[in-house]
Amino acid sequence: MDSSTPIASVAPAESEGGSSFWQDARHRLWQNKLAVFGLVVLSILAALCFATYLFPNISGYTYERQNLALGPVPPSRAHWLGTDALGRDLLARLLYGGGISLLVGLCATLVSLTIGVIYGAIAGFAGGKLDMVMMRMVDILYALPFAIFVILLMVFFGQNLILLFVAIGAVEWLTMARIVRGQVMAVKRQEFVEAAHALGLREGRIIFRHIVPNLLGPIIVYATLTVPEVILLESFLSFLGLGVQPPQSSWGVLIKEGAEVMEEYPWLLIYPGAVMALTLFSLNFLGDGLRDALDVRGSKD
Amino acid sequence: MVRFITRRFFETIPVLFVIATATFFMMRLAPGGPFDAEKQVLPEIRARMEAHYGLDKPLFQQYLLQMKHLLQGDLGPSFKYPGRTVNEIIADAFPVSLELGCESLVVALLLGLAAGMTASLKQNSAWDHVPMALAMIGLCLPTFVLGPLLISAFALHLDWFNAAGWFFPRDRVLPALTLGAFYAAYIARLCRGGFLEILNQDYIRTARAKGASGARILFKHALRGGILPVVSFLGPAVAGLLTGSFVVETIFGVPGLGRYFVTAAFNRDYFMVMGSVLFYACFVVALNLVADVVLVWLNPKLRFE
Amino acid sequence: MPLLTVQNLSTAFHTRHGVVRAVQDVSFQLERGETLGIVGESGSGKSVTCYSIMGLVPQPPGRIEGGRALFGSVDLLACSRRELNRIRGRRISMIFQDAMTSLNPFLRIGEQLIEPLMIHEKIPRSAATDRALAMLDEAGISEAEHRLKMYPHEFSGGMRQRVMIAMALITKPDLLIADEPTTALDVTVQAQILELIKKMQSELGMAVILVSHDLGIVSGFCDRVMVMYAGRVMESARTDDLFYDTKHPYTRGLRNSIPALQMKGAELHTIPGQPPDPQHPLPGCPFAPRCIHAVDYCAQEEIVLVDSPPQHGTACLRVQKENLSV
Repeated sequence: MDSSTPIASVAPAESEGGSSFWQDARHRLWQNKLAVFGLVVLSILAALCFATYLFPNISGYTYERQNLALGPVPPSRAHWLGTDALGRDLLARLLYGGGISLLVGLCATLVSLTIGVIYGAIAGFAGGKLDMVMMRMVDILYALPFAIFVILLMVFFGQNLILLFVAIGAVEWLTMARIVRGQVMAVKRQEFVEAAHALGLREGRIIFRHIVPNLLGPIIVYATLTVPEVILLESFLSFLGLGVQPPQSSWGVLIKEGAEVMEEYPWLLIYPGAVMALTLFSLNFLGDGLRDALDVRGSKD
Repeated sequence: MVRFITRRFFETIPVLFVIATATFFMMRLAPGGPFDAEKQVLPEIRARMEAHYGLDKPLFQQYLLQMKHLLQGDLGPSFKYPGRTVNEIIADAFPVSLELGCESLVVALLLGLAAGMTASLKQNSAWDHVPMALAMIGLCLPTFVLGPLLISAFALHLDWFNAAGWFFPRDRVLPALTLGAFYAAYIARLCRGGFLEILNQDYIRTARAKGASGARILFKHALRGGILPVVSFLGPAVAGLLTGSFVVETIFGVPGLGRYFVTAAFNRDYFMVMGSVLFYACFVVALNLVADVVLVWLNPKLRFE
Repeated sequence: MPLLTVQNLSTAFHTRHGVVRAVQDVSFQLERGETLGIVGESGSGKSVTCYSIMGLVPQPPGRIEGGRALFGSVDLLACSRRELNRIRGRRISMIFQDAMTSLNPFLRIGEQLIEPLMIHEKIPRSAATDRALAMLDEAGISEAEHRLKMYPHEFSGGMRQRVMIAMALITKPDLLIADEPTTALDVTVQAQILELIKKMQSELGMAVILVSHDLGIVSGFCDRVMVMYAGRVMESARTDDLFYDTKHPYTRGLRNSIPALQMKGAELHTIPGQPPDPQHPLPGCPFAPRCIHAVDYCAQEEIVLVDSPPQHGTACLRVQKENLSV
């Protein structure tokens, strides 16, 4: 049988516009309604809080201005969220405190990120015995109740904000270190690194142009998920009287004060609690969404 | 297995040592001393009190003395509660914390595992979305918000429980729920993730092809693999339960070790702080060892390493 | 009465990007003790056909869109889950391509081996273990007693597949479905596994459906062969007839592509082009774009499997209309 020219010819594959990894990720993230919701809420809250932090008098009330004659009142036209026992406007304190809580969240996350990435990258690159020793240390430290040490630090060395960042950051770096190390090891073994070596590229170039972009994804995701943990830890410390000190407010301080008078003035607990919970939600949803969007492994359908 | 345990044992000794040293120097180098609060005390009397406790000796000598006592198991006297030794206080207070911790863990495991397993079986249905939404709420509500809320709702308004205290079995409910909620949420999410990954595996398909029922697949085939992330989490979870107990004990008036620890830290009650820290550290390390043993037991592939 | 009658089976997957029609209008019959081979490239729908019969298609996103699969008097596609579970593992067993991932890594082999007995027969554990030992022996695994306590990752690839076979046959089923059982194995081991299946088949008198992309393997093993492409049956005949009286261009193409049958040193024969996009099916015969015999009505009319002498079905429009010889 002879192969005469086929009547139906094979159609050439249409050229499709390619999209980069980041474009794909952005598209996936956009599709995730919860993550978008989180992002929007977060942006609004952050804008309000930082504005109030930088310009404490923005709403007409500052966080510390007392009005003893007024005393605690429930939400009203003059004070949208009510006032506390000393007549301070709750909304102002909430937004200002939010600024502080978010600031602590960001800075402490940054600290933990720096420590974690450096530690994890070294362990991942070095491999072998050094890696084993470093990771064993992480394993041991991971399980210890570090919060105890943070408490001790804060109790003994006074409550200043910088120490707070450092202390909290020093607790949270472990997970980041593990993740970065895992990612570095996985990427190191991948064939495109071998290919780059085979092409004769220098080590530094390989690291920067090939390995680092692959680290960014998990780092972003876990940084986003660390911030709520930090905020929780900060509020935990403030509740014990160890974090931010009055008259400065943070969400933890507000919740502590609110819990004490919960019976008579419930709004003092409910609003700070709700706002903090909302922020944590948003961060968690956003983090989850980022994780789904950036994680190339596994498509769900 | 025995080698594994011995190796871990020898690893932890230096860790405990570092913890003890770090705690010691942190405390002594910090401003303030145990008797600062007693403002009425004359300087001579204070000096005598300090000498009595050996606080006038050079720092390094105190350190060695402390280490020696620790190795002998003697945790020293308490400053805040004169006449009682730290050993005694811990012996009284720890069982309370232990009970609270265990009950919270049980709450966390029961709620978390049930929610997670159901969610994974009925993915993307209401059985999935609702528990996971609740889990998200549990993750975002700290204990000191949830606690007062529960007290307000169930103790004050509905009058089902006492608002505080640790006298009747009923008193355990709200504290355990408060402390366990966060961990239940975390476990639910971990469990769901773990089970979903397992349920997509080929060997589950084989089990179905053999005619296995849903329950058999879940409990015989999926459980051992799906539960692994939860077991891995147990170590840090227990650590967290211990620290979380500080707050819960304060809110609910539970006479546990956590409360003593925090007050001791505030009062610069050196020996009490050292004792509690080391006690906690040992406890957590031991529990971690148990969790790791369970992990290896559940995953046969690890056993051969 | 035939053991298994499949009529007009259609299965589709409803994904985020569209509907994939994995199996379309597939029909065949299987007699007791008969061996049927299902051949096709990846994506031809051969595995999904078997999964559909066994109720192993995840729904969602999959959905059985129509058809019947009569096993005895039970329609496997319409019966209750409980009934299906009574049949699966007892009267119809299935083995899969990758034995490593298809065995539970957390359970000992012995446990997995006796599981079908524990599910379907009310016999005590000790009796089940005895039967498991006997099966391992039959499957050619030495030191059976010792092996029962081991875990899957302690076995080699060939041994794992033997274990899978032992596990599938321990209940003496009427039908064994083997989904590419040798694809993941070395060539020498492939032959051994096929021998084993053949041996067990003759001992138990059971029917076998062997799914493969390798026409060569199927030709040596099966009584009848069914060729699938793009989710449809293209040709179905006794093995000899399929090879010596081919009635479909695709089958001819597959035959011509077997390396062992070609002249050494000459360029290897391939079928030009790509299989169709399952999400965007074109009208008419799915093979038309690549078929050297295609004419204009091939791309317009829907194809149907028609028996042209009895027992030899073809879906080629030109063969049906003009008795084209391929």
